[in-house]
Amino acid sequence: MTAERPAVPASQRLEHAVGVVLRAGVTTSSVCLAVGVLWSLVTGESGAAHVLLQTGIIVLLMTPVARVVVSIAQYVSDRDWSFATLTAIVLIELLASAVAALMFNKKL
Amino acid sequence: MPVVTASLAAIIFTAGVISGSLGALLGLGGGVFLVPFLNLVLGFPFTAAAAISLTTVIATSSSVSAGRAGKQLINMKLGMLLEVATAGGSFLGGVTAQFVAQSLLQRLFGLVAAIVAVIMLTRLRRRNVMLDPGADPGVLGGRYYEDESRTTVTYRVKRLPVAVGASFIAGNVSSLLGIGGGIIKVPILNAWCGIPLRAAAATSAFMIGVTATAGAVIYYGRGQLEPALAAVAVLGVQLGSWGGMRFGAAASVKWLKILMALVLFIVSAMMFARGGR
Repeated sequence: MTAERPAVPASQRLEHAVGVVLRAGVTTSSVCLAVGVLWSLVTGESGAAHVLLQTGIIVLLMTPVARVVVSIAQYVSDRDWSFATLTAIVLIELLASAVAALMFNKKL
Repeated sequence: MPVVTASLAAIIFTAGVISGSLGALLGLGGGVFLVPFLNLVLGFPFTAAAAISLTTVIATSSSVSAGRAGKQLINMKLGMLLEVATAGGSFLGGVTAQFVAQSLLQRLFGLVAAIVAVIMLTRLRRRNVMLDPGADPGVLGGRYYEDESRTTVTYRVKRLPVAVGASFIAGNVSSLLGIGGGIIKVPILNAWCGIPLRAAAATSAFMIGVTATAGAVIYYGRGQLEPALAAVAVLGVQLGSWGGMRFGAAASVKWLKILMALVLFIVSAMMFARGGR
């Protein structure tokens, strides 16, 4: 097979990259959460189980953020500036939520 | 904050399986079932129920969209554009939820859900598609292969400002009430913006991960998210939506719409019952 591979459209490269990030994030967090739940059922409230559960939750919360970051990178490399800007605004909104979370956390 | 026991964990896991499979069948997040269950049946504080539900919404959105990536069913460009509105709405909703009484918003939600259900029922036979595969979908439109009709479906996006407005409101309601917000976005994208139901549902499910994160992070920071209970709910919903997806692909669009409208009426009644107290 010597036929040249057809160029993959930018939209398909982005879909692929996004799919990989989402799958990695959700798999990692599900494994952490499942092991954490089983661990705490076997050993009761233990430090290791707590760490696993917290890690699973944080990885889960970070997954959509990672997906947005990857999208920005892909749009920038495709020189699609309007969508790079739009996606960057989404990231800023997510960061605003994190800042609000930190402020609420401090206050209580 | 509720005390975590093995039996409570088992109950929440089962509730997660049921809401996850119903959600997958209907193209909703499943939060519309989980929040009322945790809040009304188990008596959790509304914020704790919303926080757990939002976490499951993120998991469902991520795994469902990972499975769909590469099939062109998700309209990524439209999704990313509308996310600017949903994430902004969700951020504001998450902050507002910390200060405002829920009852008025619940009644408002009941009203919106009922209106949307009526729209769904009156537009059962609309397809919103151009069957000529050579047709130009424009910058924001899309094209995908539909299994049932064995054709390539092409569509253009109409009334973009309506889609943006609906997304902002959906984001707001999402973090206030702990649901994905697909309940608001999908029917509007389908009925008014020319997007076929399957593409609208896939694009909405894709956006919902970001929407729910903007809200969930705030609940997490405030200490309203119990990790062990969120964990069992997430695992249950994952299992349920995996099961629902198998069956959902075979369900017809018409029955899906009727079923979805029915669910909206039930959710509406529950929200009115709760908000009127």
